[in-house]
Amino acid sequence: MNLQIDTTIKRTRAYWFVDGFTEMATGGFFILLAGILLLRWNTSLTSSPSRFLSIAGEISIAKFFGFLIIVLVLWWLKDRFTYPRTGFVRGNRITTAQILILIRNIVLFLLLPILGLLALSLMIASAGSVLSSMPVWFPIGVALIWAVLCIWAGNWMGLRRFQIIGALFLLAGIKVGIWQYVMGLPASPENMQAGILQLATMDILYRSLTSLGLLVLIAGVILILSGFVTFLRYRKENPTPYSEDV
Amino acid sequence: MKNLSNLDRVIHEPARLTLVALLSSVKSANFLFLLKESELTKGNLSVHLTRLEEAGYVEAEKTFRGKIPHTEYRLTAKGKAAFEQYRKSLGSIFNKE
Repeated sequence: MNLQIDTTIKRTRAYWFVDGFTEMATGGFFILLAGILLLRWNTSLTSSPSRFLSIAGEISIAKFFGFLIIVLVLWWLKDRFTYPRTGFVRGNRITTAQILILIRNIVLFLLLPILGLLALSLMIASAGSVLSSMPVWFPIGVALIWAVLCIWAGNWMGLRRFQIIGALFLLAGIKVGIWQYVMGLPASPENMQAGILQLATMDILYRSLTSLGLLVLIAGVILILSGFVTFLRYRKENPTPYSEDV
Repeated sequence: MKNLSNLDRVIHEPARLTLVALLSSVKSANFLFLLKESELTKGNLSVHLTRLEEAGYVEAEKTFRGKIPHTEYRLTAKGKAAFEQYRKSLGSIFNKE
């Protein structure tokens, strides 16, 4: 019986994702970010360091307004589509203690091991070669963080598709990393003169941001597809709003 | 045997247990959500919610969303404590040799 109680609780936790809207909206947001990362870099005419700052600024603006728009669109869609079909749920307010536990777990079980791996690689290889291989390990590291978060969330809410999404994120990160490796690593910035050093560093940054952009793009497509399939299934199961006044 | 008799009879009933479990992980939910998730009939759901309200485990808030009447149910502090206690009691029954 206790196992069934847990299943019921998990089902309620997953209610926010029952219609696929959140995944589709997040996927669209990811594609917007990927567009900024992949397209703006090539079309901007300013010099490299200011270009980098300009893109960072645009991403911050896109994140802020994107998040705001997503919340408003989701609220509107759920109010008109989901709540009349399967009911309204008001989520628990997240407490400060819960946020602190989440941050602690992310730092302890995710960031520290990754930093440890980075430190270990710096002991084995030179700083220059670690930096020049950034286009390979950076997308894999980011994908690993996303994968762990998705798999944990999938387990917490009993949503198998989140676990599959997590695995796909990791595979996408590895694929992008391998692709960058096959393309050939940028020149190591060690023992370079100042002018060339800046060029080499910018090349590494460019390649790393391209990797990240591709990963974000693939992740966005995965989320949109997953959300769309979920939406179709939800609509099939709940074709019309509940008819009686309740 | 003592552990079994200590089980909360209000929550122990499967339909009410489902409702309390559903409400335990959210701030509140409306009648339609509980109806869909519990798969009870409207009449049965009303009866069980009333029983939980009488026990002080659940409270209802009636509002309007536009012109449509809207009732949200939430677990009270007493309800939350009773649910936690029930889960512990259930665990102890199976864990004791």
